[in-house]
Amino acid sequence: MILSDINADIRCGEVTALVGPNGAGKTTLLLAILGLVPCTGEIRFCRSAEHGEGAPRIGYVPQRLDFDRNAPMTVQDFFALSSQRYPVVFGHSAKSRRSARESMARVGAGHLISRPLGRLSGGELQRVLLALALRDNPDILLLDEPVSGVDLSGEELFGDFLGQIHSESRFSLLLVSHDLSVVGRHADRVICLNRRIVCQGATTETLTPENIAAMYGSDAHLFRHAPADGHGHTHDPPAAGRDERKRD
Amino acid sequence: MESLLGSLFSAIGVLLPFDFAEPLFMKRAILAMLFVAPAAAAVGVPLVHFRMAFFSDAIGHSAFTGVAIGVLLGVHPLLTMVAFGLFVAWAIVLVKGRTELSSDTVIGVFFSTVIALGVAVISAQKGLTRNLQAYLYGDLLAVSEVELLWMGILLLAVFAYLLFAFNKIMLVGIHEGFAKSMGVPVRALEISFALVVALVVTTAIRAVGILLVTALLVVPAAAARNVARGAASAFWAAAVIAVASGLLGIAASYYLDTATGATVVLVAAAFFVVTALGREMFRR
Repeated sequence: MILSDINADIRCGEVTALVGPNGAGKTTLLLAILGLVPCTGEIRFCRSAEHGEGAPRIGYVPQRLDFDRNAPMTVQDFFALSSQRYPVVFGHSAKSRRSARESMARVGAGHLISRPLGRLSGGELQRVLLALALRDNPDILLLDEPVSGVDLSGEELFGDFLGQIHSESRFSLLLVSHDLSVVGRHADRVICLNRRIVCQGATTETLTPENIAAMYGSDAHLFRHAPADGHGHTHDPPAAGRDERKRD
Repeated sequence: MESLLGSLFSAIGVLLPFDFAEPLFMKRAILAMLFVAPAAAAVGVPLVHFRMAFFSDAIGHSAFTGVAIGVLLGVHPLLTMVAFGLFVAWAIVLVKGRTELSSDTVIGVFFSTVIALGVAVISAQKGLTRNLQAYLYGDLLAVSEVELLWMGILLLAVFAYLLFAFNKIMLVGIHEGFAKSMGVPVRALEISFALVVALVVTTAIRAVGILLVTALLVVPAAAARNVARGAASAFWAAAVIAVASGLLGIAASYYLDTATGATVVLVAAAFFVVTALGREMFRR
């Protein structure tokens, strides 16, 4: 059992941040929403008839792609795989070319379209994934942000285009974030997760030092007391150092 | 049916006016290769993308048991070989989905089990070893007309399947969760693709044998990667390399008097080496 007692609302049109330490089950929760990991209980999508019927469209941006970097596949191929019926080996349909062009322009990455997928940097790849996830105008976007510093950070994503796209399209955004400053600035609501829900609510009310300590457990506790250990530096594992950055 | 094969044979005679293509058994071998090689290469492209080479090898080796069961029951080994290959493929996918073990560990367990089972059954039956030779190394020159028809049907079936499933399979190969969010039925595709691979592998064993069958799927697709940039060029390059290796290999084996299956795989390997060198030179 990875997660238990998960009871949360994700509100329409809002940015909800999912925060918690490594191994808290954040990605697992996203996968459960996608129906990729088995779970008990119920995930219900409620919407009024004016917003369309049937199952909602869910866009998903995974944390990273663990694919074969040598695969002969261009960004255009990648778009065509999910937007045309006939195999990409017979070329790309006009429709898939157009939608790829438009979607990539939307995230400011139109120049990447004929590049091989395996040659893209982490940040470029993430833009491609985001462009694809947004292509079909999702009702809900699940965004699993990579650990910042390695790839495009949440701050860059929001600063560059995500904030603007979100204000135009008003999908519900569920964001896994490792950067509490991004969460503080951009999220309407926060769900703090550590194998169960530690706390949830409006961002300003939820991201209190007490709640963060409760969520990150001994790491955060350790760090708080570290400067007082007498010789001015810490012996904490790197994870605790990252937590400190999250708290500021 | 006879007349269909007959006209295909005469077409080969016209298109390949060489010594080696003259005898009827050679025409059969060429036609078999023209059916099996493109099917193997077409499945090989997503197979390599999926990193399933080891899976295909395990299915190939399940033929030990498949053939042994056929001989024991007194039915045509081809039937039991295909059926048992399908069963093993399904079992591997099933077990993989229900355990935390990595897929190569699961496949490794099946791999050794099916070989051990096959060898045990065969060793208990005197005289079975001779039968097995044809399956170990392939026996393209002894392909029967019934087998030819089966190979032709397989080629059509594989292409029909890929017409429907190719895009989705490639998407799953990139990221399962992402594919699922795009509405791809991941599980159904995994199972169906595994079964199609099993069909192709067990059929191709007649051509190149248990030991080399994976090469027929993997080597053309790998060589194609050296020259291709996009998905379309990779697919067609693999198909062309597979057919060229098949025909050149059969011709070479005729004149050099070497085992046909092995020669075909060697030619394919040569394609890989040449394209890999070309890629290196082109990069500089």
